[in-house]
Amino acid sequence: MTDVLLNRRQFLVSASVVAGGMSLALVSRTASAGTVSEADTVAEFSPWLSIAPDDTVTVYVPTGEFGTGSMTQVPMNVAEELGCDWAHVRAEFASARRDYLEGGPYAIGSQPFFTGHGTDHARMPYALQLGASARERLKAAAAQRWSAAVADIQARDSVLTHIPSGRTLRYGEVAAAAAMIALAEEPALKPQSEWTFLGKASPAKLQLPGMVDGSAAYGIDVKVPGMVYAALLQCPVQGGRLRHHEPEAVMKMPGVRAVVTVDRSGTAGSPVTAKATFGLAETAVQSAVAVIADHYWQAKTALQALPVAWDFGEGADWKTEQQLYDDALARLDEPAAMVLREAGDVTAVTTGRAVAADYLTPYCDQAPMEPLNGTALVTSERVDVWTPCQDSQQAYWVAIDETGAAPEQVFVHRTLVGGAFGRRSFSEDVRMVVAIAKQYPDVPVQVIWSREEMMRQGRYRTLIAARMRAVLDAHGMPLTWDARACQAGNPMVSLPLGFADAVYAVSGAIPNVRIGTTRHPYHILTGAYRGPCYNSHAFMVETFVDECAVAAGADPLDYRLKLLADWDPAWSNCLRVAAEKAGWGKPLPEGRGMGIAIANWPMAGMKQAGSTVCAVAQVDVSRDGKLTVHALDVTFDCGRFVNRDAVLAQLEGGVIYGLNMSLSEEITIRDGAVVEGNFHEYRLLRMADLPARINIHFDALSGHDRFAMIGEAPVGPIGPAIGNAIFQATGKRIRSTPLLKHDLAWG
Amino acid sequence: MTVTDNSINAAASASISLTVNGEQHRLELAADTPLLWVLRDHLGMTGTKFGCGIAQCGACTVHVDGRATRSCMMPVEAVDGATITTIEGLAPRRDHVLQTLWLEMNVPQCGYCQSGMLMAAAALLDDIPAPTDADIDARVSNICRCGTYPRVRAAIHRAAAARNGGQ
Ligand code: FES
Ligand code: FES
Repeated sequence: MTDVLLNRRQFLVSASVVAGGMSLALVSRTASAGTVSEADTVAEFSPWLSIAPDDTVTVYVPTGEFGTGSMTQVPMNVAEELGCDWAHVRAEFASARRDYLEGGPYAIGSQPFFTGHGTDHARMPYALQLGASARERLKAAAAQRWSAAVADIQARDSVLTHIPSGRTLRYGEVAAAAAMIALAEEPALKPQSEWTFLGKASPAKLQLPGMVDGSAAYGIDVKVPGMVYAALLQCPVQGGRLRHHEPEAVMKMPGVRAVVTVDRSGTAGSPVTAKATFGLAETAVQSAVAVIADHYWQAKTALQALPVAWDFGEGADWKTEQQLYDDALARLDEPAAMVLREAGDVTAVTTGRAVAADYLTPYCDQAPMEPLNGTALVTSERVDVWTPCQDSQQAYWVAIDETGAAPEQVFVHRTLVGGAFGRRSFSEDVRMVVAIAKQYPDVPVQVIWSREEMMRQGRYRTLIAARMRAVLDAHGMPLTWDARACQAGNPMVSLPLGFADAVYAVSGAIPNVRIGTTRHPYHILTGAYRGPCYNSHAFMVETFVDECAVAAGADPLDYRLKLLADWDPAWSNCLRVAAEKAGWGKPLPEGRGMGIAIANWPMAGMKQAGSTVCAVAQVDVSRDGKLTVHALDVTFDCGRFVNRDAVLAQLEGGVIYGLNMSLSEEITIRDGAVVEGNFHEYRLLRMADLPARINIHFDALSGHDRFAMIGEAPVGPIGPAIGNAIFQATGKRIRSTPLLKHDLAWG
Repeated sequence: MTVTDNSINAAASASISLTVNGEQHRLELAADTPLLWVLRDHLGMTGTKFGCGIAQCGACTVHVDGRATRSCMMPVEAVDGATITTIEGLAPRRDHVLQTLWLEMNVPQCGYCQSGMLMAAAALLDDIPAPTDADIDARVSNICRCGTYPRVRAAIHRAAAARNGGQ
């Protein structure tokens, strides 16, 4: 932490000015930085932080903003220690280019440019320290100005006060001088018990005003002078290729400027070793054609008129999604290719009651509301890209790789993001934008995916099939748990989370465990989907445990409590509180059921880690099979929180996302191509579809000293809680989603 | 203000006049261009959002002669002469009761759907000063993938109460 503030454009000119017991070292700018006028210059304290003469504090946030509030959380962390007036705080996007060229000033914590995670366990103390350091430097500058002792100076609400004399200075008045000061020693952070802002206040997102008056700028809102628009069509079957097209047929249509084609051969390659967050393997372009025109509507109209023929490739042999499901399930007949966890010997137990079942969750589309888009201007001098990406470091390296330009020539301008949920992680959309724009050089080109193009050319939730088998002892508790999965996803999104580290596998409650997986991607491209793979595993594991409880004749809540008796008590507490809030155990009328489920992202296998979320669902199923989810009672443990309302918003949104995913989402296939193109085919929940009650309870928070990420975890337990409730209501066990696809009629 | 594209297909081109947020515009452009793209591309007003293009999601909701309208499937020739209000014109100082409550209650997550939500909600309150849950369900059928629905509903009820109490 000691070199936090050693900006490499500054150097020490004199050391050890002692004021008020604080040892200081003066620093100055290098000659190349030019002369600095205190009156009108924004003072840079660090690549993360600057203070302007008018007191404006700007925090450069590497983690972007797509709705979770990290562009607000990181500045909040800084402000807690800086002691500035929150009204003066702004957030800006940190530059991935600067990070590369200056040796990684933003490379703090894992995936430093990936959106979200404002309370990351490495970044949060770093941001607090930034605030504390800047505060002490401001105090030191004031001490110099007043020839006073630092110890006599108080910093609060962006004002420095010399306590003995009552004199004051605003932060902005000494910021330039303070930025020249380097501390010989970093100040200690205040204990959390002395926080006055974090955990106390829930300020609105800094970007909120623009979101309610239309001025907030998302990627699709970028306007660059002289900009033209492109409409895009990729091969309807992923992996296929453009065979033939007739640009002449549309070149004379209104506004049309060019028709371009895109394929992998056009990728130039990075001139240096790329440092893309997620690598470049999953970012290749699909074969495509695009029309460039003065206006988007003209481009889209011409594209629709463009004669095109494709070679669909091998993917077209898959006639329906059911063929893919059957194939994935058939692969479970073979031993798993990789054993992820093994304890005891699952084959040693030969007697006892067996519970066995297969599960499946389908491809789904993240469907953020802002369609994929991006703007690029490629010239011989430089490459500029404006993108609503999830990770600007990834976007930066993709742009470099596609153009072959030197890293210093490439500028990625991040924008607000109209939802992502994983869809914008890998920046293959950035590659497509650049691949089109570089064929129309010197003119800014904005590429906009139609909703249909985006939905049918997705990077879908990994399709997963799983087979599970348990042998129960005389009391109904599992002696063995043997589980294998087939994950039809690319290696980046074939994750073991919530499966290999499922709590029942690691808690020691089951003596013999074997968990394995086989990766078998099909031609359908996959990507991150809110809580990748965890969101499937939670459904499978929590449904299976419920089946074991039923086979044992046990109450599903008691059964889980028993399995978790020696585990982190916060899990049991989440179960108990959710059950109590929902009225678990009370007699229910015919056709009504209650179900429970619990899961943790991303640390199910560790005590006091990650975020645990428990859900109790109450459903009605009519005799003819109509499902109504009445209520969801949700408890959680992320340790502690620093912004209560932001955590609540993520839980509300995550619960609804999990509900939508489990009830109705499924991408289907005809002759290798995705069927669903828009929201009339791929149903998203609307206000009228919500359960009457979604109750988020804060009562099960453990208070453990962590601020775990909360966006993904709630997506997991909702589906299995509802599925388990359906079983209680109808006696029908649902082992695949979407739940609404099943015939739930009973009686 | 006149915006002309380089159309060579005169038959499809039309001369349209619109009043948008109190300002008059004359445009020469293809008659079938959806109002959404006229607002966004031709007039540079990007507060109105593109979400689906088929009148499903409501991100593109504007007021046409006072009525909430999904602009993505509305050919501009069908609104020739109309008075349009977009999110930019909902309240001059961002002080519509819904905007105030949206800020106070932290309604938006990513925010992308929210201009459409606000325009649908504003039209609802103009028509039904004290809407029931069923009214809200019927009239604010916009899609929000971030799941801000509970807050949208709560904010509309509070706005109705504030307006009615304030009269
Ligand atoms: S964009 Fe118009 S309703 Fe979706
Ligand atoms: S706030 Fe993100 S889609 Fe509604």
